[in-house]
Amino acid sequence: MEVWLLTLTLLLYLLSTASFIVGLFSVRPVVRTVAPSCLLAACVCHASAITVRSLTVGYFAVTDVYEALSFLACLTAAMGLLVQWRLPVSILGAIVSPIGFILTLGVYVFYTQARALPPTLQSAWLPIHVTAAYLGYAVFVVAFSASLVYLVQEKQLKQKKASSFLRRLPSLETLDHLNYRSLAWGFLLLTLGLLSGAVWAGYAWEHFWIWEPRLILSVLTWVFYALLLHYRSAGWRGRRAATLTIACFAALVVSFVGVQFFPGRHGGQFG
Amino acid sequence: MEVSLASLVQPASSLMVVGLNHHTTPVELREQLAFSDGALDASLPRLVDTETIREGAILSTCNRVEVVAHTPALEAANEKICAFLAEEQRVALPHFAPYLYTHIDQEAVSHLFRVASSLDSLVVGEPQILGQVKDAYNVSSALGTLGTVLHRCFHKSFSVAKRVRTETSIAAKAVSVSSAAVDLACTIFDRLEDKTAMVIGVGEMGEQAVRHLRGRGIGTIMVTNRTFRRAVELARTCNGTVVPFDQLDKHLHLTDVVIGSASSPHYILHSGMVEEALEERKRSPMFLIDLGVPRNFDPRLNNLDNVFLYDIDDLEQVVEDNRGERQVEAVKAEAIVAEEVEKFWRWFVNQEVTPTIVALREQAEMIRSREVEKTLAGLVELSPQAKESIEALTRSLTNKLLHPPLAYLKRRHHNSAKREAEYTQEIASPHVIRQIFGLDAHEE
Repeated sequence: MEVWLLTLTLLLYLLSTASFIVGLFSVRPVVRTVAPSCLLAACVCHASAITVRSLTVGYFAVTDVYEALSFLACLTAAMGLLVQWRLPVSILGAIVSPIGFILTLGVYVFYTQARALPPTLQSAWLPIHVTAAYLGYAVFVVAFSASLVYLVQEKQLKQKKASSFLRRLPSLETLDHLNYRSLAWGFLLLTLGLLSGAVWAGYAWEHFWIWEPRLILSVLTWVFYALLLHYRSAGWRGRRAATLTIACFAALVVSFVGVQFFPGRHGGQFG
Repeated sequence: MEVSLASLVQPASSLMVVGLNHHTTPVELREQLAFSDGALDASLPRLVDTETIREGAILSTCNRVEVVAHTPALEAANEKICAFLAEEQRVALPHFAPYLYTHIDQEAVSHLFRVASSLDSLVVGEPQILGQVKDAYNVSSALGTLGTVLHRCFHKSFSVAKRVRTETSIAAKAVSVSSAAVDLACTIFDRLEDKTAMVIGVGEMGEQAVRHLRGRGIGTIMVTNRTFRRAVELARTCNGTVVPFDQLDKHLHLTDVVIGSASSPHYILHSGMVEEALEERKRSPMFLIDLGVPRNFDPRLNNLDNVFLYDIDDLEQVVEDNRGERQVEAVKAEAIVAEEVEKFWRWFVNQEVTPTIVALREQAEMIRSREVEKTLAGLVELSPQAKESIEALTRSLTNKLLHPPLAYLKRRHHNSAKREAEYTQEIASPHVIRQIFGLDAHEE
């Protein structure tokens, strides 16, 4: 059931990616409703897969690589959908759909059979800590996407290539605004994730902090985002802010993937 | 069987468009022939009658004067329309006759569809023309000069225009320098309502750009000029505020869009000034539109972050690119029009020709039965078998006599699909067939 749902999810992400790309070049209004519908279907399907897994194992299924990737993919797609529902940035769908697709492919690679929850993770803090941190990551994907599109749009405008493609992208102001807002929200969620982690650690390990590569990398990333946000509030915007957002996101990805190579006490396989 | 045959042949009546437009006719002449708003109410009923012009409508705009008619007699209708225009507008026919064009049948339908879809406009894709076509329809509809055919034809033209608008991006491309500039402003800014524009100088291009910005709802407009008085004049027409020229730099940080249309031998905006303004406005983006020749703004300004500078050449290039894209879109639009003309024509032919064929058969049957009756009345001693033979003989005669004209019509259809031109040169149109067989006389 779970694998079957995941396969369907994968197909829907692919379909959604294709329809968003067609939507970038087509003026037919029908495409613009089909693509978000595909993405919505993919999200619902994905959430069902996670629910099925959670019901099978009997806890919130976010504790190993497979489960974490799956959860992250679902949150990212949902976040993209949410934002493009509220703002005229359908291009976002064309970015989060393939991200969802690739992450879900990764889910296949790391697929594990259901297992019993390790005792160290048996805590009410697990869902709070993981959800806050991963929601933060998902929002940072949005910030990253907005910055990427900003750079493309800005470059075209500076080079005076006013193609029709340009006109289908959101305005620079919209993208910059989205960048700022998602940075702020992402930072807030990431902070919540770190704090809840610290509190949980205080209970479980009797220390709020231990010197461990995973934790150090996570806090470093947090510091990067804090600096970025600080400079943004001080008036950095446009291309500079977009470039730095992309750099910060790269740091996030590095820490996210890099920590997998360091063993440690930190519970899950990810983050 | 007959219905499907009917759909293959030419109808007995025709659609036509007679008129002139901006492509061929000088504006002075168009002005003389154009109908003012109220004038149609009096004129149009004089155009339509039962014999030559069954249904008629007049589309009169500053770019075109066209009469759309549904007629059973092309030649007569054409003459009548020409005479009508000459008489109503008091212009001698020889004055405007050389400029007139006449579109017939599918071409007429196609023309109306293209006009409504703004494919025949001076600025292709401009949206006003559809409204004007709708007005023309409403006026003639209210005057009762439309019948089934033109009602449907106009309604179709509206839906074709809608298809063209939604399925192609023909209407979405700016075709003037100033509208291209405003389009670009919309790719930089989210909305214009809370933005401020400043226009430096009172050149005509700048004025146009300001008017476009106003049209898109820009929040505030500031005008500055070396000669204060002229700045005041422009500010009044565009509902803006005047800034003294020597205080330009003090107001620069307030403006999101700066339009240069001054004639100045030196650059008016330099990096230093703009840099300062940017600092003050926390690096909010600025869009600089340089419409001046020689240029008003230092071209190096484009290198500043969050500053986007377009000069007149850049904008011309944008317009040029748009034209190129428009060509591609126009091909799509023409395909839509062709498809819809085909659909409409099928309907038109069908509802027009069926009666002709039915009438032909009915008339033959009527003559046959009357003559048989007369003959049999004088031959009372004939056996029922012999009577039956006579019936069969006459039926066979009429069928054989009718066969060539019907077969001829059928053949004409097959030719028409491939060789439209030859087709029109043939002598016997269905209309002629109606006359030869006296169908119309019989109907009365």
